Amino acid sequence: MTQQMTTQQNKVEQILDHMEQVIVGKREAIELSLVALLAEGHVLLEDVPGVGKTMLVRALAKSFNLDFRRVQFTPDLLPSDVTGVSIYNQKEMTFEFRPGPILGNIVLADEINRTSPKTQSALLESMEEKNITVDGNTMELKRPFFVMATQNPIEYEGTYPLPEAQLDRFLIKLNLGYPSTDDEIQMLDRTSREHPIDRLEAIMQQEDLIQLQEDVKTVHVSDAIKKYIVYLINATRTHPLLELGASPRASIAMMKAAKAYAYIQKRDYVLPDDIKFLTQHVLGHRIIISSEAKFEGKSATSILDDIVRKTIVPIERG
Amino acid sequence: MKDMMKDNQIISLVLYAGSLILLLEWVYPLDDVTDTANMSAFYLFMVLCFILTATKLPYWIVSPIKFMGLLFVMHQLFYSGSFLSRIWINEVFTDMQMNISMMLSQNWGGLSPSFRTLLFLILLWMMSYLLYYWFAVRKKPFSFILFTFIYITVLDTFTVFNAEGAIIRAFIIGVAIMGIAHLQHLLEKEKIKMPQMSTMMKWISPLLILIGFSTVVGYAAPKYEPIWPDPVPFIQSAAEGSGIGDGPGGGVQKIGYGENDERLGGGFIQDDTTVFLAQSPKSKYWKVETKEVYTGKGWIRSNDGVFNQSNSSLRDLAQYSDLVERSEDEATVRFESPGVLNKLVYNYGADRVTSNHDGMTFEVNSFTGEVVPKSGDSTNLPKEYQLDVQRPFYPVEEMRKIDSSVEDNIGVEYLQLPESLPDRVVRLAEEIVDGEDNRYDQAKAIEQYFTNNGFRYETQDVAVPSEDEDYVDQFLFESQAGYCDNFSTSMVVMLRALDIPARWAKGFTGGERVFGEDHFEGGEPEYEVTNNNAHSWVEVYFPNLGWVPFEPTVGFNNPTNFSFGESVDDILDRESQETPETPELPEDSESDEEDDTEEEEEDNSGTVLSFSKPMQFTAIGLSVAILAVLVWLIIKKRFSLIRRWKQQKMARNHDVDTFTDGYQFILKVLAKHGLVFKEGQTLREFAIDVDRWYGHSAMSELTRYYERAIYRDEPIQDQHHEVYRLWNRLVNDLLA
Repeated sequence: MTQQMTTQQNKVEQILDHMEQVIVGKREAIELSLVALLAEGHVLLEDVPGVGKTMLVRALAKSFNLDFRRVQFTPDLLPSDVTGVSIYNQKEMTFEFRPGPILGNIVLADEINRTSPKTQSALLESMEEKNITVDGNTMELKRPFFVMATQNPIEYEGTYPLPEAQLDRFLIKLNLGYPSTDDEIQMLDRTSREHPIDRLEAIMQQEDLIQLQEDVKTVHVSDAIKKYIVYLINATRTHPLLELGASPRASIAMMKAAKAYAYIQKRDYVLPDDIKFLTQHVLGHRIIISSEAKFEGKSATSILDDIVRKTIVPIERG
Repeated sequence: MKDMMKDNQIISLVLYAGSLILLLEWVYPLDDVTDTANMSAFYLFMVLCFILTATKLPYWIVSPIKFMGLLFVMHQLFYSGSFLSRIWINEVFTDMQMNISMMLSQNWGGLSPSFRTLLFLILLWMMSYLLYYWFAVRKKPFSFILFTFIYITVLDTFTVFNAEGAIIRAFIIGVAIMGIAHLQHLLEKEKIKMPQMSTMMKWISPLLILIGFSTVVGYAAPKYEPIWPDPVPFIQSAAEGSGIGDGPGGGVQKIGYGENDERLGGGFIQDDTTVFLAQSPKSKYWKVETKEVYTGKGWIRSNDGVFNQSNSSLRDLAQYSDLVERSEDEATVRFESPGVLNKLVYNYGADRVTSNHDGMTFEVNSFTGEVVPKSGDSTNLPKEYQLDVQRPFYPVEEMRKIDSSVEDNIGVEYLQLPESLPDRVVRLAEEIVDGEDNRYDQAKAIEQYFTNNGFRYETQDVAVPSEDEDYVDQFLFESQAGYCDNFSTSMVVMLRALDIPARWAKGFTGGERVFGEDHFEGGEPEYEVTNNNAHSWVEVYFPNLGWVPFEPTVGFNNPTNFSFGESVDDILDRESQETPETPELPEDSESDEEDDTEEEEEDNSGTVLSFSKPMQFTAIGLSVAILAVLVWLIIKKRFSLIRRWKQQKMARNHDVDTFTDGYQFILKVLAKHGLVFKEGQTLREFAIDVDRWYGHSAMSELTRYYERAIYRDEPIQDQHHEVYRLWNRLVNDLLA
């Protein structure tokens, strides 16, 4: 491990600590969103309103001094509201492109399931392709590019739930949940005068983040770890209570996420513990449980727990 | 480096020479067990091959020389004509051609001795290469040494070859070779130059002392007697039949029962004419008569005794005291071709005889044991007769009470010995019974003496004593090979030399069991007794019991029942379990010779078992128990046992595989302590569990290193010191 890498990792640690000042008691969620950011993936946040989803994204954007955009997905939102639109400039007699929010670094796609599938796919496709095409012009999205989409699990009326194929495009799905009593009291203390987000300072710059993303790619994944990933993914495919197991894309996602997580843990190699920790967050939204499982009261979480418990961890080389 | 190569070569040569000696041990017995002759030619060829291989000259020099050597040996052994002349080549060529065509037509029996010799020589040639590879190159001599031992012991057990010397030689050479090979392995592994001669001596002398010590101890230490009789005479006797010669000694006689025993000795040929068929629940000896005067050449009678008229009672014959327990038995005898036999045959304990012949009476001679059937005035064997038998069970405890202090109430004729009997026979007898204080153990010691001292059962080449020689003396000290007459006579003479009354009994062995031919009614086993079954044995007098039969002939088993304190019912119960009343009949009613042999074997072994069962059970039970305890101990202590080895391995090797091995060793030891590495657990999680349990952090620390080794593919050389320290600490803690 190089000296430079260690410095970077220490800075990441610093970012995490700072963000925790803003989002009290949610270290795990902060780490996971950072994992997605470093692995160049995207996050799907499923939670009730008011638990700090926006705050999380804003804290992330501020820490890296990134361009933060927010799109509130409503039923009448059009794809061009996301991507941007060309407007005729009468003065200059030309079409002028007015970029949409997707051309920022960090995009918060709030309540993504309330808009029409057409608009949803406009966002999701650009997430995957990392470019958009407006009026025949293809434009590269900014680097880094990170989407955090939120879903409201309470209001189902008039929503368009994301299809499975689309869910697969999110590297990680997480939920913040309510803070514990102590954390909530601490949060009240901190926000009594001014919101700590306003005092949050950038620790790294955009370029640093790009460097971090490159560094993460060099994290070592041994054959034993690859084996473990494949064992786990295979187990989801053969589990009797799962209607749909994880795809090969899930294997790749798992490896990417594991590298980023290992990096955050100040390592340059992946451990089975990383995989184990990430299983719920990486695979949870990629499997479909069978109706029997639902009838038995099982959830994706409990089935994945079961799989992890029964999959043998390779403890030999190769 | 060059020096090392040279050292290596010297050791290789020593090992290779050892392998030659071991291979010679393979070839050496062939002289005894096969009809191979001219062994020296083979030895020479082997030595030639080995020397040439050892020179490490290129094969195009060595192979032609070996080939010429091979041809020369063949020439010396088989071919006429001068070596390599045209005629000679022609002869060899024709011979080979013929043999190859025989081989192609799979006529293996037709191969000529010359061709078989050729093949054998080629085999020896190949062995010289193979052993060079094993011993000199690989330096892994163990398996060949092991196989040599197996080979020698099997030959010793099942053939006439006596491997006493061979085993000692093979042991010395084998251990020496393994010691030297180990030295070589050490030198190579540690990359040490061959040390100075004085250092070398320090290494070699303990080895030599050890070998010398174990050899001397092994040779001198008392050894257990074999549980089974030596199978060689038995196999021979089963294959060749058994029996006694008869009539004037000298020349080859035909086996069978005869009257005249004045001159014993000389070989005989087999005769499987059936003398009589018998039905009896057990295979037992058939007695005809006894003789009591030994002349130095054979047996005669001092007087002919008195024949008493008896209707059917044979009670005069079996004069046993009440100490001898008895059990009821029956037997039926039907004569087929009795030849000169004109007396009845009967089992020990025969009580009554009944015959269907009208007007047949019997005359019983209690002195000679003869039963002569009379029909009117003439002696006439009945066709068939039944015997009621009170089978005796001789109590060993009672027999052991008889010692030299007890006075024999029996005639002095049973202590008779010829004046001419050499003193060394008496001395030998005293030597054999040295340390035995009672008559039974003395008799047993003499009975066992022949088997334990390499006396051979031999029917063909049996010596006849010359005019001034004693029959027993010649057998005991010179020929040491003979058949029942030699053994039984010698035992009687030696017993008498110790003032133990004994006499010489004649008759037949139990015969061969026949299946599928119902000669008699009822399901009892049936036996066919042929001239080959003619036999002689020994009766020893015990004042409190009577005359007790003993069987000194090697390869024969004593069918007498001795009881070791248990009741007769117990013995009978056991017997009935051992031998089912109605054995399964083989499909093929005409059982061939091989079957017969097998039956006899079973039969005889049955008798042996009933004799030595109590001891055998204890021995088997004890060994099973010891083995079980050993296995249990090994399983329980297995980690402690291999700990030292693992520690050395860990200390020496710095590679990841050794680390993996060592780490997993710890996992196994932990599992034994109840901390099982569960599926789905990661090493880190497990290490935390372990450390929490033991209250330290060594496992987690070691696991950090291990994780880096296997998940980061990181070499551990640099951290080896720390890794070994942690590992060692854990192992010591766990196995303390």
